[in-house]
Amino acid sequence: MVKGPPLTAPRLPGWTLIIAAITLIVFFFPALGNLLIYDRAAIIHGEIWRLLSGNLVHFSLAHLLYNLVAWLIAGTIIELYGYRFFPVLILSSSILIGITLYILEPELYFYAGLSGVVSAAVAYLCLQGMGEKGVLRWLCAAALTGLIAKTVIEIRAGSSFMLLLHEEDFVPVPLSHLAGIVTAILLFSLLRVTPRLRQPAR
Amino acid sequence: MKRSGISILTAFVISLFYAALLSACASGTTKHATSVVDYLFPKTKDPIVTPGIPVLSLPLRVGIAFVPPPAGRDLRSGRLSSGFTPFQGGGDLALTEKRKTDLMLEVAKNFKKYPFVKNIEIIPSAYLTPGGSFANLDQMRTMLELDVIVLLSYDQVQFTDQTLSFTYWTMAGPLVVPAQNNDTHTMLDAVVYDIASRKMLFRAPGTSLINGSSMLVDQSQELRADGDRGFSEAAVSMISNLDGQLALFKEKLKERPEEFQVVRTPAYIARSGGGGGGSLDSVMLLLFIGLGAGFLWLKGRR
Repeated sequence: MVKGPPLTAPRLPGWTLIIAAITLIVFFFPALGNLLIYDRAAIIHGEIWRLLSGNLVHFSLAHLLYNLVAWLIAGTIIELYGYRFFPVLILSSSILIGITLYILEPELYFYAGLSGVVSAAVAYLCLQGMGEKGVLRWLCAAALTGLIAKTVIEIRAGSSFMLLLHEEDFVPVPLSHLAGIVTAILLFSLLRVTPRLRQPAR
Repeated sequence: MKRSGISILTAFVISLFYAALLSACASGTTKHATSVVDYLFPKTKDPIVTPGIPVLSLPLRVGIAFVPPPAGRDLRSGRLSSGFTPFQGGGDLALTEKRKTDLMLEVAKNFKKYPFVKNIEIIPSAYLTPGGSFANLDQMRTMLELDVIVLLSYDQVQFTDQTLSFTYWTMAGPLVVPAQNNDTHTMLDAVVYDIASRKMLFRAPGTSLINGSSMLVDQSQELRADGDRGFSEAAVSMISNLDGQLALFKEKLKERPEEFQVVRTPAYIARSGGGGGGSLDSVMLLLFIGLGAGFLWLKGRR
């Protein structure tokens, strides 16, 4: 477990707020969204930043709000608890999601949404929380199990709960959630096996 | 000389008689009409509106409205383009507000299937001022957040006792149609404008001809029913033409990109089925909220 300092004074969840602000700006400036969206054809023509920046674009207000609420919850708690390497998690999950979709979803021409990174943050939070004491440990274990199970079911079924609930009119891509969860597990494992990185943040 | 004067007088009287007879024969005509030209360009002495280059940011917010008749015009005393005066009118009685709404809903239903349409606003007639032109459309644009407006106009003529030909005045010019006894000719015209640039994108007319065969005793009821049916048939024809004109317009967008600027927003990409989204559903969101509450509860206990 990579534990942060004791909770004395609340700290500002800086990274969480920065990412939230960027997604809001991108949403309200569609031209910026066009420049940043995961566009397979543009990526092939050299615009490789889209692999990463597609996570910051959203298709609709509902799409944005769902992702943003989840992001604010997960990101704020990670930063409040002082769990380390959160910026590394954000960057690495964004890149891995883009690369995974590019390789494993060749028929996906456009992709947008922060949910893959949110899944990474939630999985990371659960993994860290499993090192805490008491009920929280079991709550985190159950949440992580549920998150992985739901994602795997959606990928295997080729559908999602979102479609069943008719919540959006675009095709959900649960593979991005799996890529995010895998990134979180890899980063957490790396921290566990590297003693030098296990030093708590001050 | 005296004989010549009598001849002229006789010719004048005969001319008057024929004029009166012709007028009486032609008077069996009812006309109900509104015009997009009158609405958009009410004052011909005003400078000609020069359209700009439309920037179509997809998906579009579309408004649909029937144009009102020109200010001060009593439809009951409207004149046919052929110059004859109808003996009866009825103004907008031919097309009540409810009937207009029904027709607009039919058009809206057809437009909704396209991914480039974000939403459609049905605009009540009261919102449009007669001869309001583009200033009125700008108000609609601000008030209802519209990008594009579909202006509907209609022209319905019913003949009861004389064979005539008559003329529809459309945005594209005159359309001359021959007429028979008890015929009901209807034309609905849809003109699609980009409000910001004042550019007409495309138009689609729909026409209907109903051959009436009513007896004099039930003529009034029959004509009313034919009038209603005429609007329904013209709407079907117009909607079909709208699809065709839209397909042609799409081709025009590809062929002449210098005339139209198209911006495809992420929302449009999603709606057009070309992309996928990383999105959370309610189940996941509830799970995350529960997890967050657990962490905060623990923080409170520390």
